[in-house]
Amino acid sequence: MTKIWPTADQAMHHAAHHAVAPLVWDPGSHLVSRFTFGPTAANRAYLVKHTVESWWQGQVTAGRQYSGYRGHAAVAAQGPLLSKSPSEVRAWLKAHGGEYGWEAMDQLSRVTLGLQVWSKAQLYETLVDFFSNHLNVANHNGDVWNTRHAYDRDVIRKFAFGRFSDMLVASSKHPAMLVYLNLAESNKSAVNENYGRELLELHTVGLGYSESDVKNSARALTGRTLYGDHRYVYDPDLHWTGPIRVLGFSHANVSATGGESVGDAYVRYLATHPKTAAHIARKLCQRFVSDNPSNALVSAVANAYLKNHTEILPTVHTILRSEEFWMTRGRKVRRPVENLIATIRVLGNPVSDMGKALDTLDWMSQSLGQRPLDWAPPNGYPDVAAAWRSSGTLINLWSFHRGFAQNWWDGFGKIKAESLYGSAKPKNSGQAIVALTKRLTGMTFSASHRAALQKFLAEPASTPLAKSNLQWYLPHLIPLILDAPHHALR
Amino acid sequence: MTSTDSPSELSSALARQAESVASALCDQDARWGASGWTRRRFLSGMGMVGVAALGTQLVTTKVAYAAPNTASGNTLITVFLRGAADGLRILVPASDGLGVGYLRSVRSSLVPADADLLSLSGTSGWALNKAMAPLMPFWATGELAFVPAVSAHGISRSHFQAQQYLDRGGSDTASTGWLDRVLQQLGPGTTFRALAEGSALPSSLTGSQSKLVMNSLKNFAFPGWDGVAGASETAIRALYRGMPGPLGEDVPITLGALATAAKARAGAGVHNGAVYPSGNFSSALSDIATLLRAEVGLEVATVDVGGWDTHTDEAGDLDRALTSASKSLAAFLTDLGPARRKRVSIAVVTEFGRRVAMNASGGTDHGHGSVMWLLGGGLARADVFGRWSALSEATVASGDVPGLNSAFAVLGELAQKRLNVGSLSKIFPGQSVAPLGVASVY
Repeated sequence: MTKIWPTADQAMHHAAHHAVAPLVWDPGSHLVSRFTFGPTAANRAYLVKHTVESWWQGQVTAGRQYSGYRGHAAVAAQGPLLSKSPSEVRAWLKAHGGEYGWEAMDQLSRVTLGLQVWSKAQLYETLVDFFSNHLNVANHNGDVWNTRHAYDRDVIRKFAFGRFSDMLVASSKHPAMLVYLNLAESNKSAVNENYGRELLELHTVGLGYSESDVKNSARALTGRTLYGDHRYVYDPDLHWTGPIRVLGFSHANVSATGGESVGDAYVRYLATHPKTAAHIARKLCQRFVSDNPSNALVSAVANAYLKNHTEILPTVHTILRSEEFWMTRGRKVRRPVENLIATIRVLGNPVSDMGKALDTLDWMSQSLGQRPLDWAPPNGYPDVAAAWRSSGTLINLWSFHRGFAQNWWDGFGKIKAESLYGSAKPKNSGQAIVALTKRLTGMTFSASHRAALQKFLAEPASTPLAKSNLQWYLPHLIPLILDAPHHALR
Repeated sequence: MTSTDSPSELSSALARQAESVASALCDQDARWGASGWTRRRFLSGMGMVGVAALGTQLVTTKVAYAAPNTASGNTLITVFLRGAADGLRILVPASDGLGVGYLRSVRSSLVPADADLLSLSGTSGWALNKAMAPLMPFWATGELAFVPAVSAHGISRSHFQAQQYLDRGGSDTASTGWLDRVLQQLGPGTTFRALAEGSALPSSLTGSQSKLVMNSLKNFAFPGWDGVAGASETAIRALYRGMPGPLGEDVPITLGALATAAKARAGAGVHNGAVYPSGNFSSALSDIATLLRAEVGLEVATVDVGGWDTHTDEAGDLDRALTSASKSLAAFLTDLGPARRKRVSIAVVTEFGRRVAMNASGGTDHGHGSVMWLLGGGLARADVFGRWSALSEATVASGDVPGLNSAFAVLGELAQKRLNVGSLSKIFPGQSVAPLGVASVY
């Protein structure tokens, strides 16, 4: 059972102090491990002095102020095509070597990565990431070369702090989605069921519809297609007329000209369906709480979703007001790119050249198999630990940890390893380990884990810093702390 | 285990090992709680002495209890030509009986001249594109075969849908890939039982089975300065000791695999005078050859090769790609040598074939029936298997080679006869899998 409190702070204060070993109860770290792309020295410090609700309010304000790509100016500057329309992108590409080039899609994945690392609006970025996957349109796909960025901007980012029903209606009219799931080619004489089915199964109610529901779903949406310049248009000539019945929705659908509003009403009906609420609530809880959230929490979040007319922020805020959320520290394994980004955030690597830094992040995310927005099937990247098991990924992450601690990577400036000790300089080897682990993971390691690190340094904890092997081994000890489960879990 | 162990020592050692693994896992099971392990599943697999026979790098996944060990000692490699390779320019129906007249009438400049064809003796007039000459020696030894007009009900003309459909074994939305389900059915294996060469996990291996995904054997080593690698590995082991869950399993598995990988790497080197061309495909195959020689227990491996989407200027682009792929595969088979490759079967697949007629840009657009290549050991004979209808206006359904032979029937036959996978009903649910007779039982 989980209890939902009026405020997040009350929930935090009343929650039992549970954590998955080796992590320990630490509400501040927990909050920023779940609702940002990783703790930083600064956001950990903030929570020592402020309430959870004030942090939340700050993030809501930041998300409104820095919506779209405004969360980080230097990152946004790397995506000049992202503000253009599909036809403008095509014209630009034509003038720059190839009408069908992939530059807009490239800019989108690079800017997405950059904002995940550096945007001031971290809550916003986590929700953008969630809904990009929930209403997935695979980036880096020749069919959406000039529209995918516009989908990100005009559907996902536009409504990430708004209502899911509005986001869903917008997605049902967006050229990228229409092409990706073949709605653009669906018409009354050749109904394509691809979108009609995924709208039910993936975007809204989940499994539990009938084949007749799929047929009707697809029919209701015929007429939504594209003009030659990749603009959405509703073409009545393509619309199937006749009675529509899907789940509890029915409509006489008698006129072709009225078909678009029938489709809109149908999509809005689905957005507010209790099964949709449960489906989205479960996925949100899986994202922010644990791979196996309790049914009680899921139904509380689903209720909030319905009560707030599909508004995303109050729905998500309900998670924060649950005791269960605060009792799940360590129950999620960071997915590969989350681990990569959390590494940079906690180390605070400076950027020497943003273009090159984003290139670095882009190839790293590819080698980890989690380039943002690039999951090919319509169901979005999986969000449970079991889906991400890979030895090559572990080795890659261990390599990236070393590179970020030892200043190998293109586009990034140098960090000074000693600065990670903090203001009070440790006196000996053992104190150095304590200071570093605290700085990088927010916690003091257990005696046996400290002993493992001490053994790595091949000296007793009492060794004075001036005589310690840390003089040579510090840049090798830092990545070891990031390899540990303390950093791998969130 | 050394070769000097007597049979009785061996079996008692195996029993001890199985026992200790079982107790370790039982312990883990008790701690894992909510993550899907159940006592019942554990007990249902207690007769698992055979598990240990696979060597010391045991994969300890939950599914290790699902089935008895069925290891055949064979390896199935799938090579996926991403982008839809044009079967009609790879395996050419070069006789009147097969419909070459019609083919020339709709794609004249894409049908190789007679001098650029290698006829496949004993067939009804099939011929290979000359770019595939490096593979011809294997036709002579019965280690090369083809299946034309391959598809499956449900495959569309979308690259995305069709690739997913093949990888996931008959559904583009299934949550696991067909090779993952093969592994599940085979039961336990070694750390190296399933390998994807590439940067990400291909959909065919998506699922709960442990697998290694690596970019290259060369990079499958502890990163950073060698001077601290050993001490770092020791520290990481200590940091994860006793940790339950996938991470607690994968970290020691990975660290354990490093030693095997290093040992395999130490024995790396090209054998039997094989010459690999440059490129990712070659280096992936060469890695696999190295691992096979090292006997690490490899059961399935996948390699992706991109660049087959020939909408424009197909003749040159496709022939270049074919030359490189054929040289790589020939080098791999040569490298393995005749004895070892008896235990290795390769299926080269692509998501769909291309239109029979050439388009206005000297290329071909998305079509339907494609060609599967089969190489290595365990083939019934060198032949072109399956059904074919002579190409003509009437047989070319809506401009495409029809899908007369099920891709899943061929892959399923290889999985059954070469890997001893048993029933195919869970691997390719609802698919037609009647064997074409391409393989012999291991």
